[in-house]
Amino acid sequence: MKKLTYFPGCSAHGTSEEFDSTLKLVLKTLDVELEEIPDWNCCGATSAHVMTENLGYALPLRNLVLAEKIDNSTMGIACASCYQRMKVTKVHMDENPRLAAKINSTIIQEGTYKGEVEVKSMLQYCYEDIGIETIKSKVTKSLEGMKVACYYGCLLTRPKNITKFDSPEYPVSMDRIMEALGAKATEFDYKTECCGASFAISNTEVVLNLSGQILEMARESGAHAIVVACPLCQSNLDMRQPDIQKLRGTSYNIPVFYFTQLMALAFGYPVEKLKFPKHIIPVEEALSNIGRVEPVPEKGKKTKKAVEAESEVE
Amino acid sequence: MARVGVFVCFCGANIADFVDVPQVVEEAKRIREVKYAIDYKYMCSDPGQQMIRDAIVQFKLTSIVVAACSPRMHEKTFRKALSDAGMNPYLLEVANIREHSSWVHQKDKKAATEKAADLIRMAVAKSIANEQLFEISVPVTKRALVIGGGIAGIQAALDIADARIPVTLVEKSPSIGGRMAQLDETFPTLDCSQCILTPKMVDVASHPFIELIPYSEVIELDGYVGNYKAKIRKKASYVNFKACTGCGACWQKCPVKVPNEYNMGIDKRKAIYTPFPQAVPNKPVIDAEHCTMLLKGKCGICAKVCEKGAIDYKMQDEIVEREIGAVVVATGYDLWDPKPYEEYGVGRFKDIITSLEFERMVSANGPTGGLPLRPSDGKVPKNVVFIKCIGSRDEAKGIEYCSKICCMYTAKHAILLHHKVHDSHAYIFYMDIRAAGKGYEEFVKKAQVDTAATYLRGRVSKIYKKGDKLIVRGEDAQIGQVVEVEADLVVLATAIIPPKANPELARLLGISYDKYGYLSEAHPKLRPVETAKAGIFLAGCTQAPKDIPDTVAQASACAAKVCGLFSGDTMKKDPMISKVNNEFCSGCQNCIKVCPYQAIVTDEIPLGHGSKEMRTVAKINEGVCQGCGSCVAICRSMAISLAGFTDSQIINEIVAI
Repeated sequence: MKKLTYFPGCSAHGTSEEFDSTLKLVLKTLDVELEEIPDWNCCGATSAHVMTENLGYALPLRNLVLAEKIDNSTMGIACASCYQRMKVTKVHMDENPRLAAKINSTIIQEGTYKGEVEVKSMLQYCYEDIGIETIKSKVTKSLEGMKVACYYGCLLTRPKNITKFDSPEYPVSMDRIMEALGAKATEFDYKTECCGASFAISNTEVVLNLSGQILEMARESGAHAIVVACPLCQSNLDMRQPDIQKLRGTSYNIPVFYFTQLMALAFGYPVEKLKFPKHIIPVEEALSNIGRVEPVPEKGKKTKKAVEAESEVE
Repeated sequence: MARVGVFVCFCGANIADFVDVPQVVEEAKRIREVKYAIDYKYMCSDPGQQMIRDAIVQFKLTSIVVAACSPRMHEKTFRKALSDAGMNPYLLEVANIREHSSWVHQKDKKAATEKAADLIRMAVAKSIANEQLFEISVPVTKRALVIGGGIAGIQAALDIADARIPVTLVEKSPSIGGRMAQLDETFPTLDCSQCILTPKMVDVASHPFIELIPYSEVIELDGYVGNYKAKIRKKASYVNFKACTGCGACWQKCPVKVPNEYNMGIDKRKAIYTPFPQAVPNKPVIDAEHCTMLLKGKCGICAKVCEKGAIDYKMQDEIVEREIGAVVVATGYDLWDPKPYEEYGVGRFKDIITSLEFERMVSANGPTGGLPLRPSDGKVPKNVVFIKCIGSRDEAKGIEYCSKICCMYTAKHAILLHHKVHDSHAYIFYMDIRAAGKGYEEFVKKAQVDTAATYLRGRVSKIYKKGDKLIVRGEDAQIGQVVEVEADLVVLATAIIPPKANPELARLLGISYDKYGYLSEAHPKLRPVETAKAGIFLAGCTQAPKDIPDTVAQASACAAKVCGLFSGDTMKKDPMISKVNNEFCSGCQNCIKVCPYQAIVTDEIPLGHGSKEMRTVAKINEGVCQGCGSCVAICRSMAISLAGFTDSQIINEIVAI
């Protein structure tokens, strides 16, 4: 049994409850025990770090200090924004001990920061610490037949020198996980474009426009569904979809899943447990593609490749 | 009794603003041995030098101290002034009161003045112990080695050989011609690259004073200016060039296909091949990495079809040696791999190519017969987007410098595209248009006006696929908006980078290179073709990115330098070298270990006068010694001294402060 310190963030206990609950199912199957940080606080996104640098660091640092009290080497974070704030803080503190001491002094009652806990997004944890082969071995119900566009958003792999995970422009970790489940990840060029993020509240039209382009490209790629690892992306793409359809005068009806929902599905959990009713765009049509497989001429393909290879080497 | 003259320079305001020169002169006058001291505004000028010459005669001076700029700047000038007045030039000492005092202590004039006076006291003390020294003559081997057979190496070799000086030209690939042989037409005149290059290639092959060694690499260089010895490894070609007629039967029948480097991998060549039909020498070589016969011992078709029996699978690499007097390095350039541009989908989208791939396509002898074709479906593109500065001027992903030629060749590509596909349209994303050069700005105008290429100032942020088109999204900074262009083909103007092997070659030759791997010139402005090592010169892009005219000019400059070096039968050399006092030498040979120039060998001398028993001592090769002084420092018996920097001179300096 592996153990993982868990930082859910505010959304996992609210709007992205389906992420939180399916993540727990998935990790149970993968033999990972989650230990939620007691008394965790807001990560500060996005208002704290744009207002004052100190507060922007101090809020995540308190969580990091609390995480160090739990005897695990890694902290997994559900929300992409929380992950980003926590990771940026960790990297900056580790690089600059003087700054770390200064920020630490404001929350010294919680303890001294040592820089001992690794910070990872849940996507990164599944991809790097659990691994594709293990995920594949737990699949009981293949998603074969379903085509998905994996959407990473702006924060999970950026900035490159902070996250040091996957590619900042064309990441593939989620694609690989989906392929391990049996689904097909489409070639999707908008996987790191901005969804509009928190403009959803202050200037909704920006989100309708940007998220609309993402939906457009996902449809263009031939995907039945979009898969995400970020609560804000999910809500923008799913919840705003009716408005986007109205604005663009077209209907997409592309459901937006958390990657953990599809993992749980492939691991054999009953549909009732996956909180699909929480989605605005119905998921049934997309899921009906599962098992609808076009016969692939595997042998023919192989021979063709072999022939090519032979002529190359000869 | 020594009689020293001290000459203090104002260097305009450079020294005088921060050092109280008249006071320094007064202090110098107080030194017992100083019989004459004076200041002047510009000591290096002719009136200044005349003051020195006059004083030498008038005051019967025995040594001279000039307090001025660094000796690297004007030591030679002042030495000449001394010899003009009939004095041994090595009785001069320079006190560097500019770089070592006035420039570095600008905030404290008093301290700067004191330091300048100290420096002069030291120089005076040292000069008292100066001895007369005389230049050394070393013989010169009048043969030049040119490394690299691109246009730079070709031009340098031809110019040197035309002066009736033998040249050995070493080229690593099977043919000379280099990058220029891959080009279609050249800016700004659009004359055909092949038409102006291939005659020169033939001239190289047929020149009585040029020895062409293709498919070879220099692996060792020993010796010193005028007397180098080079080892060259001739890679096994597995073809006997003397027997081969170049008929082509072998490569027509060879069954192995390998990506063709000459065409940037767009098509395939065979395992036995000549790089291109106009190759010089026009003889094939076998690519040992891909030949089935050499790898597995099966096939042997080329040997069967060769009527002359020129194929020899047992051929081995061969090492040849050449004695030479000077080296011209012209190893050219490589292109930057644009893979880090992930947001463009480089590597994922087949229809994104580099400029040199485009060049090969539009080239008359190219793999597509002169038409640009989309690699994905072989269709002729209509909308082509060119993106400049890929890797250049990009500190985040590439390199900081400007590659210099991309603005021009991209304009050329727009024109060529228009020539080949009349109903096409070129879009060019640029940061700046750098078209400095004769006829260059006019050439860019031609691309903008005649071919109506759309120049968009701004960077491309993303390329994505929509159907079979590539959508190029970038900023048009002049209207302040994001624009999207539907492209059939995208061409990336990738940066010029130095060849990967440059650092290794630099170490082998004993010259320096910069942080990118470009070989370093001795002085960026005044000695642009020399390296810091005497007798080794640089031509072309191996020193920095440059276009063909600049490369040819630099190559010819190298030739002039080589001819100048070889103009006499011997060369003069500074006498500031080490000398061994055999009386004290114990033969420990520590000096041999520390000498960076391999200038010290052992010698056997009689144990005593008339004795038949022998003992070992160190012996210094005057031609090789560079006067670094390492051997002096390591010698436990104090048997080695460095002329111009003897122990008594140095001790005098120390005592003086």
